Amino acid sequence: MMLEIRNLHARLADEGREILKGVDLAVSAGEVHAIMGPNGSGKSTLAAVLAGRDGCQVTQGSVSYLGRDLLAMPADERAREGLFLAFQYPVEIPGVNNMYFLRTALNAGRRHRGEPELDAGQFLRAVRAKLKELDIGEDLLQRAVNVGFSGGEKKRNEIFQMAMLEPLLAILDETDSGLDIDALRVVAAGVNRQRAPDRAIIMITHYQRLLDYVEPDRVHVLQDGRIVESGDKTLAVELERRGYSTFGDAA
Amino acid sequence: MSAVVDFPVRPEARPYLDAACADPGEPDWLASRRRRALARFAEEGFPRRRGEAWRYLDLRALAEAPLPPVSRPAERAVSAERAVSAGAMPPRLAGSALAQRGFRLVLVDGRFSPALSTTADLPDGVRLSSTANAIAGAPDAVGTALDALSDAPDQPFAALNAALFSDGFVLEVAPGIVLEEPIEIVHLASGAAPASLHSRSLVRIGAQSRVRLFESFAGEGRYWRNDVVALRLGPGAGLDRVVLVEEAGAAIHLAATDAELGAAARLGSFVLLLGGRTVRHEIAVHSTGEGARCRLDGAFLATQRQQVNIVTTVHHMAAQGETRESFKGVAVDRAQGAFQGRITVHPGAQKTDAHMLSRNLLLGAHAAIDTKPELEIFADDVKCSHGAAVGDLDEAALFYLTARGIPREEARQMLIAAFLGEALDSVVPAVLREHLSTRLARRLKELEEPA
Repeated sequence: MMLEIRNLHARLADEGREILKGVDLAVSAGEVHAIMGPNGSGKSTLAAVLAGRDGCQVTQGSVSYLGRDLLAMPADERAREGLFLAFQYPVEIPGVNNMYFLRTALNAGRRHRGEPELDAGQFLRAVRAKLKELDIGEDLLQRAVNVGFSGGEKKRNEIFQMAMLEPLLAILDETDSGLDIDALRVVAAGVNRQRAPDRAIIMITHYQRLLDYVEPDRVHVLQDGRIVESGDKTLAVELERRGYSTFGDAA
Repeated sequence: MSAVVDFPVRPEARPYLDAACADPGEPDWLASRRRRALARFAEEGFPRRRGEAWRYLDLRALAEAPLPPVSRPAERAVSAERAVSAGAMPPRLAGSALAQRGFRLVLVDGRFSPALSTTADLPDGVRLSSTANAIAGAPDAVGTALDALSDAPDQPFAALNAALFSDGFVLEVAPGIVLEEPIEIVHLASGAAPASLHSRSLVRIGAQSRVRLFESFAGEGRYWRNDVVALRLGPGAGLDRVVLVEEAGAAIHLAATDAELGAAARLGSFVLLLGGRTVRHEIAVHSTGEGARCRLDGAFLATQRQQVNIVTTVHHMAAQGETRESFKGVAVDRAQGAFQGRITVHPGAQKTDAHMLSRNLLLGAHAAIDTKPELEIFADDVKCSHGAAVGDLDEAALFYLTARGIPREEARQMLIAAFLGEALDSVVPAVLREHLSTRLARRLKELEEPA
């Protein structure tokens, strides 16, 4: 069991309002899960809590990752332990070179695992191969992190980082939002390339169309802070047809 | 020099009065100027913190523990040579200077060091010498250097500098000369004994000439560096001056630059303040010629208990002038940083185009940043603006970096480096930009996470 979320309650630290009201979820290695839900259901809060962002306060419940207490680890440690979050709105960081940032992140993980760090040359070779797959120009990498990137380029950059960092658990937070059909195809292909028996992927999405390209093993419906229904990929199709209001407590 | 004067001497000035000692070898005109300057300092004393100009600097430590200059010329020469082995700078201090040695003048403990300098083979029309050597050979230049700040209010230390200066550098460039390779001035303090070092210098650039200057300040031990530089740019002249301050942790560094720009002259100035316990870097620019332009940029990183001040005053006296100022500051731990910038557009200085920006990061509950931009506008057809900001690191950026596995401490340093590094983008040429970048990176490594 890679990830086990039990009765997770969480609220925004400054607002005091409870957003997650008892989430239960189990994810094993090799699986691809989709969490779908309407706006305000708690999707982004769930991603933030798992990644370890400040400002979200867990009030009840537990999260076990590879048998360890995830909530006890700071964000950087979770990442070095193989957790990856593809951001919904990747932030621009002027003055921090994209390549330098990625190499530092990559080597932080390698150091943690006792693997040798990559020098600039080795890193560049690894980078070039993956860049092509995601249709990202090398010039983009020479810039500051996400600075001047279009929405689509930012999302592709997230998946490119995932490909370079090779996480064990990848959480994709609304990776499909704002993408046109061509960009969606490229991103989806990138995600599919990273399916592996030792890797789990959780896609958080509002719309069903990403799931046409990245077929999930399990689909969960998140509504009002709880998972109200789970099923296989056909659940997503049904959701699209019937709408969120017919599920869970609202049914 | 007699300590008997006919006016009351401020108590903190007395030790300097007593230590001042006439050099029998100096011409009368210079001795007379020194006496007048000393009297002025004695009467004025240290600057008042109540006044605006020096409000953000705490000089009590200096007032309580005076640092008189090494008094006799012979003593100065001996201490300098003993502290520095011929031909090589102390390894700990050598890093501040450029790795590639070009035209270089080195001052050790305020005195020219021929052994460490390379001033031969300068192109025709470019003269670089020590101020002490110029007293006999180019007295007019020394006189011009001493004129700087002599009438300015709130400049008692410039007066003391005029009275006690031991040496400095004089760079004179004839008209019509373009020299791309930076001329380097290295100011070292050996730390042989606690003392004050007073250096007075002049850069005079003839019409249409262009020169680059790189000055670094480094040292060991406890000392007070009191440096005054006069910049005089003729019509159409250009000067790019980069200053790197990496003084010792217990040092006081008070530096003042006084610049006069002729018509269509262009001054580019960049200062990077990384070291020294108490640092104040002041630049005064008088744009007296029409169409004169200046660009004043810089950055400071203040940590532990450092106090770092940047003070700029620009006077637009003539029309069509242009000023761009952009300064970045970072204060962590218990450090205090301050930026004071004033641009004055005098009557008649129409079509002046002046903009000033001060951006700062305040990273620590006990750190402090003061930023005070000012515009005084007495002409009615101008474009002027100023902006100031003090903030923390971008939380979203910090989370992005840590969420990729970069340890929080390292992520903070990356963002601080990015913030300050951007300031370096304006430094030319690339060799100087890279050098500053390397020194900044080295200084950033010393940072510890604030409590």
